Amino acid sequence: MSFLEFTEGPLWYVALTVFVVGVVWNIVAMLAMRVGSDAAVPRRSPLGGAIKAIFLHSVPHEGFFGRTAYHVIVGYLFHLGLFALLLFGAPHVAFIKEWTGLSWSPLPRWGFIIVSQIAFAGLILMWIRRLTDPIMRQISDRDDHTGTGLTMLAMLTGCFALGEASDFLRALHMLSVEILMLYFPFSRLMHAFTFILSRGFMGAAYGKRGYVP
Amino acid sequence: MSVRAFFLSMALAVAMAVSPAPARMAIAAEEGPVAGTVPGGSLGATSDAEFWREIRRGQPATISIPDPEAAVLIQSEGENWRNIRNGPISLYGGWLLLGLLILISVYFAIRGRITITEGRSGKKIVRFTQWQRIAHWFAAALFVLLSVTGLMLLYGRYGLREVIGPEAFSAVASASMQAHNLFGPLFLVATVILFIYFLRGNFLALVDLKWIVKGGGFLGGHASSHFYNFAEKAWFWMAVLLGLVLSVTGLVLEFPWLLESRLAQQLAHIAHATSALLLVAVGLGHIYLGAIGVEGALEGMTSGEVDANWAKDHHDLWYDDVVKRESAKAAGE
Repeated sequence: MSFLEFTEGPLWYVALTVFVVGVVWNIVAMLAMRVGSDAAVPRRSPLGGAIKAIFLHSVPHEGFFGRTAYHVIVGYLFHLGLFALLLFGAPHVAFIKEWTGLSWSPLPRWGFIIVSQIAFAGLILMWIRRLTDPIMRQISDRDDHTGTGLTMLAMLTGCFALGEASDFLRALHMLSVEILMLYFPFSRLMHAFTFILSRGFMGAAYGKRGYVP
Repeated sequence: MSVRAFFLSMALAVAMAVSPAPARMAIAAEEGPVAGTVPGGSLGATSDAEFWREIRRGQPATISIPDPEAAVLIQSEGENWRNIRNGPISLYGGWLLLGLLILISVYFAIRGRITITEGRSGKKIVRFTQWQRIAHWFAAALFVLLSVTGLMLLYGRYGLREVIGPEAFSAVASASMQAHNLFGPLFLVATVILFIYFLRGNFLALVDLKWIVKGGGFLGGHASSHFYNFAEKAWFWMAVLLGLVLSVTGLVLEFPWLLESRLAQQLAHIAHATSALLLVAVGLGHIYLGAIGVEGALEGMTSGEVDANWAKDHHDLWYDDVVKRESAKAAGE
């Protein structure tokens, strides 16, 4: 079995299983958490508060825009860039089609390169802030740096494999993505799925009190 | 007609068709033999050697398609470019990098780490803002990525290829090229941001001349300086100007349609490689002094603050300014 066959075969199935089971387990566990009973009469709709918070927290609060502009902008650069290259990069679209049969129009090559550059710039700038901002440095721990590092590694090996000139580079990219998938459910990278739940929970709690910040 | 005669006739026909200087190549059977020509008529007035020599020299032919480059069978400048790239640039560039590494190592072995003369005071002075630190590390991260991949492309074939074999090296070279091309355009953005955030204080002043005369204090003694000393200013301008040359020539190489000229590509590549080697060489010195050679220097770029005694040692005029400002501020309160 070659390195590529290993990473696209057994290791891929293991990583995918751990990733899916881990993510589902986390979400189910969060949903199943019991919240203490609250006998107070709701002032407003908790559901309305939850929905408001989910969307409202996606834009910077007007009062803090100056202070938050940097991480809001680079955060969006990274996340939107990553989303675009992950779902619309031609090699990824081909990979998804191979495994699921689903297919859609990929980005042209130049578009793929530009969204990759945007994602890389966003990730590097976010990591630099985490390392140089005194407060961010204090509240960041090993998990934050490991998650960022593994994401960077997966993107970097993907960049190395852009030429599609070598099975080894493809296998290396697969391996780094699989390591990321194995780590994902046990880390704060889970925020990719749980941000809706956490924002919704906070929004519902505040909504019940009649105020969503 | 023999086979040889047939092919020679065909070659003659082609030569007549593509020649831009028909007078030189015209059949001149009635003329007497002259140097470089063949008398008679069977082979034409021009010898095979002269015909192929013209092609080898890059003499353009007449063609019917609107692509001037297609008229040139052999672009001789390409061979010149290849020889310059694999010759002087690789050779002297390699010696430059190796020489600087040796120089830095010898200097470190003799001088050791330059410590803060009076030790740490515990008092911190803000040296760089958060935005400046971000601009610096963004450029630095790209610089390292581009340097490693660029050096791999230039020198990998001489060392690594022998160690890991041609097949593995082709994967490494492909990976390096892809990464180099992807991160290259970002470096232009980083260089412009770097220029904007670090321009202030980087203009030359009279005190820089005194700093040069005293050798920057690296060989002993004290050399005064403001916020940046002469070496830092020189590094700033080198980083910006060579960074711009690298970025512009890199874009020309990555997007060949920007300048539809093969010669421009070759010149761009020579300028790109030369400026890259210079920047990496001086960058090694900058990294050494910032990270290892001078105690307390790195803190300015990680936390943004430096020790007051470090400031007194290396940037005393700036330190005096800071003290005066703080005194004036305290008096105002």
